[in-house]
Amino acid sequence: MSVQIVEAELDRLEDLWSNGLAETYRSYVDALSDHDPALQPKLALAASLIEVGLRLQGLGGRAAPPPTLLMGDLCLARGSRLLTEAASKPVQVAFARAIEGLSAAAASGKPSAPVRELLLHAFTATE
Amino acid sequence: MISSRLRFESSRATEFVDLTNRLRDELQKSGLRNGRIHMQSLHTTVGLAINENEPLLLRDFQKLLERLAPGDAGYEHDDFARRYEIAADESVNGHAHCRQLLLTGFATLLVEDGQLVLGRWQSVFAVELDGPRPRELAIQLDGEFAEVEREATKQAQLVELEITRQLMVDPDAVALPMRRLMEAGGKRLRPRLLQLTSLIGPRYDPLLAASLAAAVELLHSATLVHDDYVDESTHRRGRPTVAAAEGAERAIAVGDYYFAKATRMIAEIGPTAVTSTMAEALEAICASQIDDVAMRGAFPGDRSSYVRIVKGKTAALFAAACASGALLSDSPPEVVAALKRYGELLGIAFQMADDVVDFSPSSGKPVGLDIRQRVLSLPLIYAAEDREVGAEVRSLLQGSLGDREVDRVVKLVTSSDALRRVGDEARGLVEDALRELEAVELNGLRSTFVSIARSAVDRTA
Repeated sequence: MSVQIVEAELDRLEDLWSNGLAETYRSYVDALSDHDPALQPKLALAASLIEVGLRLQGLGGRAAPPPTLLMGDLCLARGSRLLTEAASKPVQVAFARAIEGLSAAAASGKPSAPVRELLLHAFTATE
Repeated sequence: MISSRLRFESSRATEFVDLTNRLRDELQKSGLRNGRIHMQSLHTTVGLAINENEPLLLRDFQKLLERLAPGDAGYEHDDFARRYEIAADESVNGHAHCRQLLLTGFATLLVEDGQLVLGRWQSVFAVELDGPRPRELAIQLDGEFAEVEREATKQAQLVELEITRQLMVDPDAVALPMRRLMEAGGKRLRPRLLQLTSLIGPRYDPLLAASLAAAVELLHSATLVHDDYVDESTHRRGRPTVAAAEGAERAIAVGDYYFAKATRMIAEIGPTAVTSTMAEALEAICASQIDDVAMRGAFPGDRSSYVRIVKGKTAALFAAACASGALLSDSPPEVVAALKRYGELLGIAFQMADDVVDFSPSSGKPVGLDIRQRVLSLPLIYAAEDREVGAEVRSLLQGSLGDREVDRVVKLVTSSDALRRVGDEARGLVEDALRELEAVELNGLRSTFVSIARSAVDRTA
């Protein structure tokens, strides 16, 4: 079931799966073991797409070339859409705040906490 | 009467800043049908002028001002030893004050039938004489306003206030570039559609609609910041793009910040259906951007690829804005669906009209820029298919595109039937969009939907 969900969401991103996205996804699956099993694949994929998307864009580092940036944008957008389907409103808001924090830090040249740490923390958000 | 301020940033010591499109945007937002726009410079070294926007002529004007009041003529105003109460940042600018005396600080433009009354070659300039710096003009719009549009004006003001409020709480590193982009104008068509559709259902909440509309505009702007980097655009709305002014790294961060902020605002405001609708639209935009860039290898492409890409790149957010306003006010599903289809068709028509405007000197960007950047354009696709000019257009587009080649392509496109064909097609889509609304109840707003749709394609800027 989870394989089908993931496969259905990889349109245009197939190459990324074998280039690190799969590994990142599995890390989130492990970290989200206490979540509803029906939602776990989408939540893990959302988080892994956002993490990989930010990395592809070069946020906080050297800017990615345009085609890679666009791929990163698509990862962020798809991750965000998956969150609207599977995450509670507080978790959606916490994810957005994490990206706001990361991008504000990047824009002002300040360091920020690791992306994964911030995103895993976002999963703990409640009303 | 409506009073407001028009802010801009000059980039050179002496500069003719063309404000014509900004004024048209203000006029469109205001709903003024017949009357006047009064403008007043709020500076003693900024003048106003109405003349032709032709780069060599503007250099002639600059030289004329320099001859009449040379920078090194020795002005008593610059003798700080003899003056009192000198500001810490006082500049040596006697020449700029004298040059301003030769211009005017006031101008009144007539408005007829919702349009600025300007001759074919007339543009409205703020003339910077002591730049670069941030500047401000006071404007007042006075006359007969359309009733529905008066309400739209109030709604538009709410959106502007909400955008300003949101930008005020953001860190400067991201807020300042976004503020410059927002202040440079824009049609605000997506927020307007969202607010309008939010009037249809039984649960209209103007503040909630304004917040959601502001979020949509921020989301749209975030995509523009990344687009400009991807397209290597140096200017947008007459100002340097974030990427050109502050570098690619900053542009990526600004785009990401407002992408995240907008999605957060939408999640905080909207019912689940709104959040999903917006998220799907954003994904469609990003996917079509990838297709758009990929298609540049087969530039200029064909009509069906064009429509497929434009559906995602432009029309998806139009459709989502229309559907979201209706969803926010609890409109029936059949109304939401009809508005979504209206928004999609209008979005495609809007993009086609934009492509046509890009071949006009009043577009706000250099004519031919999109050709140089190999950006998708329906007039170019049609010109490349044209029996008379097509072969030459295709041959030119296959080679490297220098100034001469781009100028030639522009001439070929404008001399062919392509612009008329695209214009007709855009108007046809608008009529299709309006037909989508025929069977649904629109709470007395039908004529506004008609007028927005038609004005989205019948424009010169």
